[in-house]
Amino acid sequence: MKQKIGLTTGILLILTWCLLPVAWIISLSFKSQEAITNGSPGFFPSPGGTAGFANYSDVLADEQFRRAIINSIGISLIATTLSVLIATLAAYAIARLEFQGKKFVLTTALVIAMFPVVSLVGPLFDLWRTIGIYDTWPGLIIPYMSFTLPLAIWTLSAFFREIPWEMEQAAQVDGATSWQAFRKVIVPLAAPGVFTAAILTFFFAWNDFVFGISLTSTEAARPIPAALSFFVGADPFNRPASLLAAAAVVATIPIVIIVLLFQRKIVAGLTSGAVKG
Amino acid sequence: MQARQGPGRRRLVAALATLACGSALLTACGGGDSGKPTLNWYINPDGQDTLTMLAEQCSTDEYDIAIQLLPASATDQRTQLARRLAAGDTSTDLMSLDPVFVAEFANAGWLEPFTGDRAEAVLDDDVLAGAADTVVWEDEVVAAPQWANTQVLWYRKSLAEAAGLDIGPDSPVTWSQVIDAAASQDGATVGVQANRYEAYVVWINSLIAGAGGAIIEDTEAGRDAEVTIDSEAGQAAAAVIQQLADSGATQPDFTTSNEGTSLGRMFPDDGGPGEFMNNWTFVYKNYESTVGAVGGPADEQELEDLGWARYPQTVEGEESRPPIGGIDIGVGAYSENLDYAQDAAVCVTSPEAQSALAVTDGLMPSRNSVYDSPELQEAYPADLLDLYRQSIETGAPRPKSAFYSQISSAVQSVWHSPTSVSPDSTPQESADFLRQVLSGEALL
Amino acid sequence: MSTVTAPREGGTRKQGRKETPEVSDRLKAENNLGRKLVAPAIVLMLLVTAFPMARALYLSLFSYTLTAPDDREFVGLGNYLTALTDSLFWTTTLNTVMIMVVTVFVELVIGFAFAMVMHRVVFARGVIRTSILIPYGIITVVSGFAWQFAFSNTNGFVNSWLPFVADDFNWFAQYETSIIAIMVSEIWKTTPFMSLLLLAGLAQVSEDMLEAAKVDGATWFQRLFKVILPNMRAAIMVAVLFRALDAYRIFDNIFVMTAGANGTESISFLTYRQVIEQFQLGIGSALSVLLFLSVLIVAFVIVKVFRVDLSNARQG
Repeated sequence: MKQKIGLTTGILLILTWCLLPVAWIISLSFKSQEAITNGSPGFFPSPGGTAGFANYSDVLADEQFRRAIINSIGISLIATTLSVLIATLAAYAIARLEFQGKKFVLTTALVIAMFPVVSLVGPLFDLWRTIGIYDTWPGLIIPYMSFTLPLAIWTLSAFFREIPWEMEQAAQVDGATSWQAFRKVIVPLAAPGVFTAAILTFFFAWNDFVFGISLTSTEAARPIPAALSFFVGADPFNRPASLLAAAAVVATIPIVIIVLLFQRKIVAGLTSGAVKG
Repeated sequence: MQARQGPGRRRLVAALATLACGSALLTACGGGDSGKPTLNWYINPDGQDTLTMLAEQCSTDEYDIAIQLLPASATDQRTQLARRLAAGDTSTDLMSLDPVFVAEFANAGWLEPFTGDRAEAVLDDDVLAGAADTVVWEDEVVAAPQWANTQVLWYRKSLAEAAGLDIGPDSPVTWSQVIDAAASQDGATVGVQANRYEAYVVWINSLIAGAGGAIIEDTEAGRDAEVTIDSEAGQAAAAVIQQLADSGATQPDFTTSNEGTSLGRMFPDDGGPGEFMNNWTFVYKNYESTVGAVGGPADEQELEDLGWARYPQTVEGEESRPPIGGIDIGVGAYSENLDYAQDAAVCVTSPEAQSALAVTDGLMPSRNSVYDSPELQEAYPADLLDLYRQSIETGAPRPKSAFYSQISSAVQSVWHSPTSVSPDSTPQESADFLRQVLSGEALL
Repeated sequence: MSTVTAPREGGTRKQGRKETPEVSDRLKAENNLGRKLVAPAIVLMLLVTAFPMARALYLSLFSYTLTAPDDREFVGLGNYLTALTDSLFWTTTLNTVMIMVVTVFVELVIGFAFAMVMHRVVFARGVIRTSILIPYGIITVVSGFAWQFAFSNTNGFVNSWLPFVADDFNWFAQYETSIIAIMVSEIWKTTPFMSLLLLAGLAQVSEDMLEAAKVDGATWFQRLFKVILPNMRAAIMVAVLFRALDAYRIFDNIFVMTAGANGTESISFLTYRQVIEQFQLGIGSALSVLLFLSVLIVAFVIVKVFRVDLSNARQG
């Protein structure tokens, strides 16, 4: 009984920890901008300082922010797709093939995972403006791919190692063509891993800030985190806290949806193969 | 530093930008395929609605002007523009520049100088001295003044009266008097801009200039300019900041205060005495448009209680040197449509354009004659217009140096936090640091 | 990073691999195929890191400002000397190390507690898992804003919730409280990640051993320190390594919450300011190189001091 109380308390603590700041940002997004300018302390909007959904409609009416959403979704999706594709090839080789340089690949991936991105943005900015992809989608997609590859390769090779590849041969013996064997046997087994790697990669690209502010300068490519930090409200001298909060909530919705749908897979991806033995 | 528009106004406009760039996913929007070029005008967020209108009006049969919005802070605006220009961007045609960045941009060769008729059109005798000074670099006109900004002392008449402060057009006050007056009244405060950002340097610069000094002299020498912040004037400036910091008349967010944080303290909800606030010209339109709203005056009568006076003196008897700000329009040197862009720059800085910005957005003209226009005379009290005009004419610009942003950062880093400022050490320390930074011997 | 070893290879491939000429051909083909498959990944990873790093090395030998390109001048190792003799560089580094140590320690303690709860819990697993993934998935900039506004004395709630703190207390007015606010945001966002890694480690601790210890009369504390923690050592160390390197590179929260005011700058932020804001490509590049080297040093120290076995590591 005592243990049960302790456990329940623990669960409540975890839920509070995780959700209180989220609740706060939602609550803040309902404070009116006038109340913010004038100062409106407290967790909940004051009775006279409630904005309803005005902040949301303002944010969604903001052309720059709408562009940022499109940029973020487009760039993150393309980077994720390409990164997972390339990582799948590499992870397959690492998990199933013997070849020279395997160690080099894994070392490179590890070093890049630890790389301080800030030390790259200067030269990268220089390089990008020389070859003309500064402030474009490819200008962000390429670094996102590079920096998500390690994560994707490690996750995928961990998954691929668990796949019983002999089943493919077994299926072929049973009369399936090699394509059928691959599609009916291997794809279903590999899909969860690919999927998990894709989600984690997407999270990374969605979250990135350093590249986002350094390699863009207009809404042609500026992603959401950069747009948030440059957000302009009615009052250029005060951060439009409640508008920003509304924008932040909007930017978090895709994350919440992904988490709700795939929480099991994400946890598996983060932990499976993270630690062996 | 720029002013702002009132919080009651909607700013999410940029509809034109959509039209121009809506489909351009992978490239910055530039000249369209149709043959009629589109000029990109990078604007800062002040007065968006009017600027959008100006862009439309100044578009001709030969070219269209599309608005691109820059971030809110002056520092971010500079970074965004400079990155584009450093990349040799051909789609940066027109840009709204904070005056302090004009020298840096011109020195880097990023601004196409105005010559001949156009130079005369954008810079003639009608332009007020404080504003005119900001667009000249190495004897060339490198930008067109669009509007000018300055700070005045805003206050509650009732507060000044209660504190026994003699204040008016003919009786200028000193910083010391203002701080004492606020400290003498329970709940009264002095509003300034003392966060670690550009406007804090604005304040420091005007304090020093008001005592007859300068942060730095001989600025055209670039890195070899003479640092003069460790002068008596520098000490006088530090003394003012120290006096305010120790006075008890500071606002709770003193060390993170900006142009917006002290607005709500003029007419507080709890009926407090209000404040003395040194702030830009937008303040008048701001309170005028928020009568009856949260953070604004309760009614027209309370608005009557709003007083204004010339920027306070640093040293008693020595004329104050109010801050100068505003926006200059520069034309990108890599633009593919230099002639069109310069014509457009002339158009968006015309007297009519300046009048529209002043009347609707509180962004004051850089041209003397516009102050006499019937529209302005109707929109503003006559004495306020004169105060603005005089302040801009006699204001103190910030150092005009190609290394201004380093100078500014260096000053900020030593003078912030304002609670640590002391006349005995701060000016000396910041002079040493500034010299090191300029000679590349110290990190910023 | 030579301690990395290849993950174990999968399944059945090894059987029947004998030293016959035919197999040796197959080995060669396999070698080729393997290289071809990893080539795109390697090229991409190096394109974005190796080339810019080489360029940074080169530029770091010049005095070079983007806005005054004509003044470019070779200064040899002068930029490094300037940086390394500048007190700002060292206070910033110290501040960064402090942030790293404090946040990782707090995350470890709280994350472990969370992991214990999640390990024991039998009901509401989905709800907990979903909740704990939200801070993990949320944009760091959003977290920074949320906490900045929470600590704000004009629009926040922290002052009114905390006893002994005046309602108008300004958290961002001095170093100590600003850095606390920054660390709170950092810790909030990353503790869930830590707890998930630790949860995976907890799952590796055998229940039989715990039962045996219980039967032997070991107290809860003894079981924790003698059985659970030693068996989780690998998991803890890997989690610490990756979180520590992440924390050492802290940038987003500082940019959003204080912009480096009151001495809250991190080494990443300092580098960013020189290169991107001040356009000091010369000394900025020198700082970039120093930042990279210091990350390697931090990684090396952690690996050596804690004897992390990277062969089992995978970054998360």
